[in-house]
Amino acid sequence: MTMEQTGEFQGQIAFHLTGAPGGHLEPVDAPVRPALLAPYRDLAALRYDYPVVLVEDSTDDACVCSLTALVDDLLRDSAPRGTEGERVRRAVLRAEREIRRLLAAGARGTLSDLWARAAPHLAEEVDHLKVDGVLADCDHELPRRVIDHAWRSVQRQKAWRFHADVDRLVQALSDVLRAAFIHSEPGRRPESLEAAFGSLHRDQFDFEMMSRLLGRSAPRDELPADRRERIEWALEVLRRQRFFDPPHGAELAQSAAPPFEYRFSSCADAIEAFRERLPNVVEFVKAMSIAELEAEGRYVSSQHDAFFQSFDENSLSRDDLARFPDYLVSVHGDESGAVIDLLSSGLPVKVLVETEELLAPEHFGVHLRSTQLASTVIGLMDVFAFQATSSSLYQLRERLLAGLRYTGPTLLSVFSGTAAPSSDLPPYLLSAAALEGRAFPAFTYDPTAGPDLASRFSVDENPQPELDWPLAPLEYADASLQRVVEEVPFTLVDFAACDRRYARHFARISREHWSDETVPVDEWLALHPAEAETRVPHVLVVDETDRLERLIVDARLMHAARRCRELWHGLQELGLAHLRVEPAPVDEAVGESVAEEPEAEVVVQAAADDPWIETPRCSTCNECTGINDRMFAYNDNKQAYIKDPDAGSFRELVEAAESCQVAVIHPGRPRNPHEPGLEDLIERAKAFQ
Amino acid sequence: MTPLLSQCLLHMGEDHHSLEDYEGGVPRWCNGCGDNAILAAVQRLCRGEDLSLEHTVFVSGIGCSSRFPHYMGTYGFHGIHGRAFPIAEGIKMARPDLNVFVNTGDGDCCSIGAAHWIHAVRYNMNLTVLLHDNFVYGLTKKQASPTSPKGLRSNTTPRGSYLDPLNPLSVTLGVQSASFVAQAVDWIPQVLYDIIAAAHRHRGFSFVRVIQRCPEFMPGMLDPWLQDPSKTLLLTHENGLQLAPELSRIYTNHREHDPLDIDAARRLACSDDEIPVGILYCNPEVPCYEELRGAGQARPADRIRASLEAELDKFTVWPAGVERAAA
Repeated sequence: MTMEQTGEFQGQIAFHLTGAPGGHLEPVDAPVRPALLAPYRDLAALRYDYPVVLVEDSTDDACVCSLTALVDDLLRDSAPRGTEGERVRRAVLRAEREIRRLLAAGARGTLSDLWARAAPHLAEEVDHLKVDGVLADCDHELPRRVIDHAWRSVQRQKAWRFHADVDRLVQALSDVLRAAFIHSEPGRRPESLEAAFGSLHRDQFDFEMMSRLLGRSAPRDELPADRRERIEWALEVLRRQRFFDPPHGAELAQSAAPPFEYRFSSCADAIEAFRERLPNVVEFVKAMSIAELEAEGRYVSSQHDAFFQSFDENSLSRDDLARFPDYLVSVHGDESGAVIDLLSSGLPVKVLVETEELLAPEHFGVHLRSTQLASTVIGLMDVFAFQATSSSLYQLRERLLAGLRYTGPTLLSVFSGTAAPSSDLPPYLLSAAALEGRAFPAFTYDPTAGPDLASRFSVDENPQPELDWPLAPLEYADASLQRVVEEVPFTLVDFAACDRRYARHFARISREHWSDETVPVDEWLALHPAEAETRVPHVLVVDETDRLERLIVDARLMHAARRCRELWHGLQELGLAHLRVEPAPVDEAVGESVAEEPEAEVVVQAAADDPWIETPRCSTCNECTGINDRMFAYNDNKQAYIKDPDAGSFRELVEAAESCQVAVIHPGRPRNPHEPGLEDLIERAKAFQ
Repeated sequence: MTPLLSQCLLHMGEDHHSLEDYEGGVPRWCNGCGDNAILAAVQRLCRGEDLSLEHTVFVSGIGCSSRFPHYMGTYGFHGIHGRAFPIAEGIKMARPDLNVFVNTGDGDCCSIGAAHWIHAVRYNMNLTVLLHDNFVYGLTKKQASPTSPKGLRSNTTPRGSYLDPLNPLSVTLGVQSASFVAQAVDWIPQVLYDIIAAAHRHRGFSFVRVIQRCPEFMPGMLDPWLQDPSKTLLLTHENGLQLAPELSRIYTNHREHDPLDIDAARRLACSDDEIPVGILYCNPEVPCYEELRGAGQARPADRIRASLEAELDKFTVWPAGVERAAA
């Protein structure tokens, strides 16, 4: 190294340690982006997961569809091979691109609306799109919109089940009352009998006479007063429920109170609403339970009255609560304490925590707090934790829906990637960078997914989860315009480079001063501390003209990167990603010795002199029991055994053996040596010994 | 998972049943008849699954086997010839919560009821079907049935039957939406029980052909298989039939068969000499008709009325100047 080079390197070291640029180093004052994000300048020209269609009235996993996937389906169905198909294909893909541009320009609307604006000449094609709904691009509103939509889809499924149960019970209880009325004296009055008939043959009957005949023995009311009161009370409670909207086709009665609201913007409001409604929930569950028993005719006053008298909120199980709508609470990351309190209550709440800021420039020490929130609630054991960035919400929609369907509390922690006003990247790229750089890793903790932490916790949703940092090939032309391809990691430092607020943590090295003394961030982090002191970390970025540059990184940001990597290691270990081992191979010697063991003898053969039956093989054909049902009998499985060998003759034993078609009766030796014809019988019995 | 309170209360009052609870009248089948073995296996299944008596119904057509519902202590419907399937389907549509079994014979199912049989397979409703196949019309004192062996001399075929027998397994496996097809024999009671239990647990149309003896009119017909266990091919699989060790020793002719492999199932169904016993095909993914149609949903009168009004409104001629929505 020459004196000049030594001086340059000293300047780099100085910047790394102090953050003060000097010498040949230049401050980063123009926007840059990580080199790996260079190809993604114009998102509208790319085909990727967004925008998504929030499918109307959906109740299944397809409540959120990607525009790209829908267009692919459309092309598969309506663009035949050949020239004409190619023309349609190009026109449809142009329409898709135009929709993206419209959305990027701030347009809003449903798929069919925007399709009509983007491609009025393709109006027919839109009919082939199988779904419709509002289009949502990956912007700052996306997490709230997608999760609200998915939540409503799940609640719609719940409402369907809820109404099916309530309708069934209302119908069953109404039938009980109706039957009692028909059997009663008022039910057999002429006007009641006449009303029960259709109009066609009504004139053919004398309802007065019919009433006199039928009414003679009719009781005043066949239902005991307490049962009638109980059924009518349960019916009334079931009918005036306020938990779900009335089912499709039914109208809300004018006198009925409006349904409860289940969406809240603060944890305290949600808890208060839950407590206020708890008496209604208790009353409703009690009414449903009574209705179930009454519908089955299994209500026993002596057994159930006392139970229902002491019925209160402590009697509710989690599955009882899961019948009702879940509370959806949307808060921002600064309500962590209240969120943990709410989640630890075990209530059926779905809490959306939106995070807009990950690396507060002035507080590196407390950064990544939202990551820690989701990790923290895992300690509550029965909370479903879902963490994702808005860019990955579509990919992870099934896990999101699983969280929304979970019967207990759920935390949905999402980084929306929008609060960095000084970033030039669109929200999609910024949130994707947070995921790639491990700044906001995606993970799921599903308490129902298995018996141990390894099966419940998953970090598989992250890119290359087995590595510290995901690697991707970077292709560029060097100074002599030769093609170069190298594997480049995407780290937290790359994520920070997206935001101008962190520019002071970087310094540009002009190309003529590039040297081997600077090393990529991931390599620098892997160095021994003593060696790291002799190197300076750098990151590859591109400027606005896509010119490749090296920025050296100061120690403060590298400290944050190191911490980020440690947190990532923690998540990997939590999911036992590193510890998953293949089952140990079976020791062949042991296997062989097991195989050589003789099988246990199951059929215990009685002494050869006693008669016996291979009972498990008896096919219940009644032959032997037909011969002598005191000697032969059936066991609990209705298979024959010898109940009493002395209850019949040897002849009957031999005849039973001969008539048994599966030959499972063995007569043994004669018990009475004086029985006539023994010689012949013994000869015949030989075939069955 | 915490159970619903109402379910707890319902289970609290439930009685556990013994085999005798499922017994109805005294069977009037001949001694040695395979129907007895099927009856015993089904009663064991009901006890094993603790099926509620009032939530279980056996439906049959006409024939020896169709007397089955009389001998069960549950609900039953002794129907008319060949019509067990539509009756059972109607019951299932109206009450999908019931355990519905169908007992039908080779004449009842494969002759007069063949059209219903084919469509019942296609509808794939959650029914457990036991085809009691004794190769003959026994109740009418020996008439040839569709499954009678070629050359059988009977009251209706005095010169011997002219046609090869119909194969109920290959027919069922050829119908779209077949979801469970198995074959059992009445003389291996444990396997018979296991197969019927698997059929009952399958969600869909479970078709079990039970080859059974008719000692009165077809004596000796099945003796070669009774006397030589190696002629019975037991189909085993981790998702199918698993044999107890004592049975493995007696029936040494086993084959590993994946019940999801329909091509192999069709080849096995056409075996001539060996009788394949086990689950030939089982696909739990085939949708059930009653679920597709939302059977069992309560349809309150006010909701039906509202739906009808909405439909009829589509054809209403509104007076000029009256907005449709406002009317």
